[in-house]
Amino acid sequence: MNRRFFRLPWRTRHQIGADVDEELRFHLDMRAAELRSLGMPPDAARVEAMRQFGDFEDARRYLNAVDRSTEAAHQRAELMTDLRQDFVYALRKLAAAPAFTVTVVLTLALGIGANTAIFSVVHAVLLQPLPFVQPDRVMRFRFVYNGAADAGAAPELNDFRSRSHTIERFAMYGGKSMNLVRGGADPELLTGVSVSANWFRILGVSAARGRTFADGEDLEGAPHVAILSDAVWRRDFNADPAIVGRAIRLNGNDVTVIGVMPRDRAYPLAAEIWVPLVFTASEMANSRGSRYLNMIGRLAPGVTVTQAERELSQIGASLAAEYPKYYRSFAIQPLPLQTAIVGDIEQPLLVIMGAVAFVLLIACANVANLLLVRASARESEMAVRAALGAGRSRLVRQLVTETMLLSLFGALAGLLLARSGMSALLRLAPGSLPRVTSARLDPMTLGLTMTLAVVTGLAFGLIPATQLGKDVASALRAGSRGIRSRHVTARTRGGIVVAEVALAVTLLVGAGLLLRSFERLLSIDPGFRVDSVLTFRVSLPARSYDSDTAQRTFVDALTPRLEALPGVRQAAVVSVLPLDGSDLTLSFAIRGRPPVPPQEEPASEVLSATPEFFGAMGIPLVRGHLYARDARAGTPKEIVVSREFVRRFFPNEEPLGRYVDLGWYVDGDRRGGTIVGVVGDVKQIALDQDTPPMLYIPYAQAPQPNLRVVLRTNVAPGSLTKPAQVALREIDRELPVFAIRTLGEYVTKSVGPQRFYATLVTVFAAVALALAAIGLYGVIAYAVSQRAHEMGVRLALGATGRRLAAMVVGEGLTLTIGGVLIGIVVSASVSHVMGSLLFGVRALDPITISAVATLLLLVAAVASYVPARRAARVDPLVAMRGD
Amino acid sequence: MASDSLDLLQGTLDVLVLRALVWGEMHGYAVSRWIRQRTDGVIEIEDAPLYKSLHRLERAACIEASWGLSENNRRARFYKLTSAGRRTLRDEERAWRRYAEAVFKVLEPA
Repeated sequence: MNRRFFRLPWRTRHQIGADVDEELRFHLDMRAAELRSLGMPPDAARVEAMRQFGDFEDARRYLNAVDRSTEAAHQRAELMTDLRQDFVYALRKLAAAPAFTVTVVLTLALGIGANTAIFSVVHAVLLQPLPFVQPDRVMRFRFVYNGAADAGAAPELNDFRSRSHTIERFAMYGGKSMNLVRGGADPELLTGVSVSANWFRILGVSAARGRTFADGEDLEGAPHVAILSDAVWRRDFNADPAIVGRAIRLNGNDVTVIGVMPRDRAYPLAAEIWVPLVFTASEMANSRGSRYLNMIGRLAPGVTVTQAERELSQIGASLAAEYPKYYRSFAIQPLPLQTAIVGDIEQPLLVIMGAVAFVLLIACANVANLLLVRASARESEMAVRAALGAGRSRLVRQLVTETMLLSLFGALAGLLLARSGMSALLRLAPGSLPRVTSARLDPMTLGLTMTLAVVTGLAFGLIPATQLGKDVASALRAGSRGIRSRHVTARTRGGIVVAEVALAVTLLVGAGLLLRSFERLLSIDPGFRVDSVLTFRVSLPARSYDSDTAQRTFVDALTPRLEALPGVRQAAVVSVLPLDGSDLTLSFAIRGRPPVPPQEEPASEVLSATPEFFGAMGIPLVRGHLYARDARAGTPKEIVVSREFVRRFFPNEEPLGRYVDLGWYVDGDRRGGTIVGVVGDVKQIALDQDTPPMLYIPYAQAPQPNLRVVLRTNVAPGSLTKPAQVALREIDRELPVFAIRTLGEYVTKSVGPQRFYATLVTVFAAVALALAAIGLYGVIAYAVSQRAHEMGVRLALGATGRRLAAMVVGEGLTLTIGGVLIGIVVSASVSHVMGSLLFGVRALDPITISAVATLLLLVAAVASYVPARRAARVDPLVAMRGD
Repeated sequence: MASDSLDLLQGTLDVLVLRALVWGEMHGYAVSRWIRQRTDGVIEIEDAPLYKSLHRLERAACIEASWGLSENNRRARFYKLTSAGRRTLRDEERAWRRYAEAVFKVLEPA
C-alpha cells in the first residue's frame, strides 16, 4: 500500500463526502460529453447521463458509508503496522544500549521485587484479618497484678464470667505438652493447648471434621476428648477419614478424637492438639495465686473496647478489695487478638517497609536519572526524525513504547525477584514472625509498585518529546554532541543524584545502627560457655512418673549412662535452659528477716538442677561450694544463688548460710534451703535484657517432669545425638526425645529476629548504595561525554589530564557531600522510629554516621573517577573537532 | 432500465469490474465504458451499481484507489487491482466458467 511510503493525512467525513461528489461529477460530465459528441443537445445529454446513472442519491449515500468504513480499516491497519514498527524499533534501540537497558531493568526489578516481597509478608502478618468471625471483637486479656503483667489464675475465670457484662464469653487456655504414643511409631511430643469448652465458639470457628468442644466437656469427670490440628491429622494419622470417634493414647490416657480443625483457622497458631481445660473443685477454690493461664473473650454486641476496659478494671478493683491477700491491685486489659499476636513485630516490620520504600524511591530516581541522560543523548536523534517528518505524536508514541517495554521487562524481572525473595524471606524469617507462612505474593502490591515504576518511566521517558519542536534547528546543528545549553536538565539530574545519595545515607545509617546493635548483642557474655554443649528435652509423662521418687530415680539412672558415653565430659539435668523462652519465677522469704505481706515478697528465677549443671554449662562458682551430689529428699536442704541474687537481696550482708523459703509447696513441704554457694550470672531470659536473680535448687530435692539434659562434650556435640537417644531408650522405650540442639543454637535462635531485621535492612542498604553509585556514575559519565569539547579546549590550553580528572571527581564529590549532609539530617529525624530495635547504640551514633559518610564518599570517588579518567585521556584534537 | 437488457446476478458485476481493471488503472467512467463495449450493450449496466461495486471492492482491498489526472486533464479517481484482487478474479472466473459450462451442457442438444 502506498500509504506506507507516503503518508496521506486521514480523510475526515467531510472530505470523504467531497471526494465522492467529485468522482461522481467527473463521471456525469464525461458521460454527458460523450452523448454530446453523438449529437445530443447539452441539456438533454445531462438528463440522459443522469438517467443512465440510476439512483444517484442512493449511490451517493452508499459510497459515503463504504468509504468511511474503508478509511477506518486503513487507519486501524496502519496503527498496527506503526505499533509493530515502534515495538521492533524500541527493541532494537534497547538492544543497542545494553548497559542502559540492563541497568534500568535491574533497577526496576529490585524496586518492584523487593517491595512486593516485603509488602506481601507485611500484609500476611500485620494487615490480613484473623480468620475468625468478627476478629476485631475477639480480645486477649493482659493480667496486671500490682502493676506488673502476668498470667491469670483459674478462679479468675469464674470471677469475670459472673461479673462482666461487656464481655459476652470468656475462655482460658494454657499450654500443655502432650505425649502421643502410637503403635509402631516413636512416641511424639505435641504442642498442646488446654482450652475452656467455649473456646471455638468465641473464635467463631467450627471443625473441618467432627465437632468442637461441647458445653460441659471441660467439667471434672467428663470423658477425655481431643481435637487435632490439620497438620497432625495428616502427619500422624495419614489424614484418616474415620479419625473422628477413634481413641488415641495421649499422656498415658485413652482420649477420643472428636474433631479436626481446618488449616490456618485455628488459634493458637502453633497448636497441634486441643484438649478441654478442666479445673478441679480444689483448684477453683485454692489456686488464686497460681498464675499460668491466658484468657480470651468476645465483646458483647455494641460494646467498645474502651467500655470493656473500664468495666474490667472496676471488676479487678473489687476483686482486689475482696482478696487483699492476693492482690494489692488487679486489672485485666482487653487487647484485640490481632494486636496481641502482632504486638512486638509491628515496629520492626514497619521499619523494614520503610527501608524498602526507600529502595523503591531510589530505584525510581535512578530510572528517572538514566532516562534523562538518555534523553539528552537522543536530542539530536529526535531532531533528525522530526526534521524528516515524523509527527510529534509518533515520536511520543515511540518513546512511550520504549518506556513501556523497559517497564515490562523490569516488572517481569521484578516478579521473578519477588517470588524468590519471598521464599528467601520465609526461610530467613524467625519463627517468631506469626502467620508468615500464609504469606502469598500480593497482586495489589505488585500492581501498585509496577504502576509507580511505569509512571516514573513515562514521566521521565517523555522528556525528549517535550523538548521537540522547540528548536529542531539548533539541535541539528549541535549534532551528536547534543545541546550544551540545557542547564535545567543538568540541574535536575544533579538534584536527583543528591536525593538518591541522601536516601542511601539514611538507609545505610539505619542498617549500620542495626548491625552495630546486633554485634553488641552477640558480644554480650551470656554467663555460660556456648561451645561443645548438646542439649535435648525429655518429658516424663505423669502416668508412669507420678511421684518425685519416680522422676528422681529416672534422672539418677540417666546421668551415669550419659556420662559413660564416649565424648561426654559431663551430663546434667535442669528444669529450664537459658534463652529458651520459658522461665519459672517464684516468690520467697529470707529467714531471719521480718515477714513482709505476700504481695511484697521478693521473687527470683528458680531452677532445679543437678550439681553437674554448673560444670557442664561453664557457669563459674564464685564463693562457697555447690550442693552435694548425693542430696536427697531427707538430706539437708542446700541451694546456690547467682551474684545478681546476692546484689539484689543481700546488698550488705553475708548470703552464705542464710535460709531461703520458696513460695513452692509440695505435699505440705515448703521448698527452699540454705545458701551454700554463689555462682556467676546468666542471661537467662534474653541477651538484651537485664540479668535476673537466679536460685538453683538440687534436682533431687525438687524434681520436675520436664527435663532439659545438658551434655558437655569433648567431641562435636552433634555426633552424640544418636548415642544419647539410645541410652535414653534403654531406660524407657516410650519416652520421646525432642528439641535436640547445641547450646549455640539457643543463642543463635534467641537473636534470630535481630539477625533477620539486620540482614534485611543491610541488604536493602547495599542495594541502595549500589543504585546511588550507578546514578552518580551515570550523571558524571554523561557530563564528561557532553563536555568532551570543553575538555579538549582545556587540554589544548595546557591543563593536565590529572587536573581534569581531579575537576571531574570534585564535581562528583560535591554532589555526594550535599547528599550525605541531607541524608544525615534525614536519618537524624527518622531514626528515632528504630529506638526499640536498637541495643547499646544511640539512634544518632557518631561512629555509624561517619562510617557511612566515608563509605559513600569513597564509592562516589570511584564512581566519578572512572569517567574522570576518560576525560583525562581525551585527545584535544578529536574532542575539539567534535563529530 | 432497458427492457431488453439482462438483469445482473449479485456478484457478477464485481467480476466484470475486476476483469476491466486487469489491463491497468482506470477511472470509474472508463470501467463503465469498457464493460458496455465488451458486452455489446447486451448487458446494460446502470452506473450506480457500478460505483457501488467499485467502492465495495476497494473496501475489500481487491482494488486500490488514488487520485490522478484523466485524459482531458481533470482530477479523477483511478482504480487499480491489488494482488488480492487478482486472486479473487482468478477464482471467480474459474467458478463462472464451470457454471456457464454446466448451464450450456443442459441447454445444448446432446
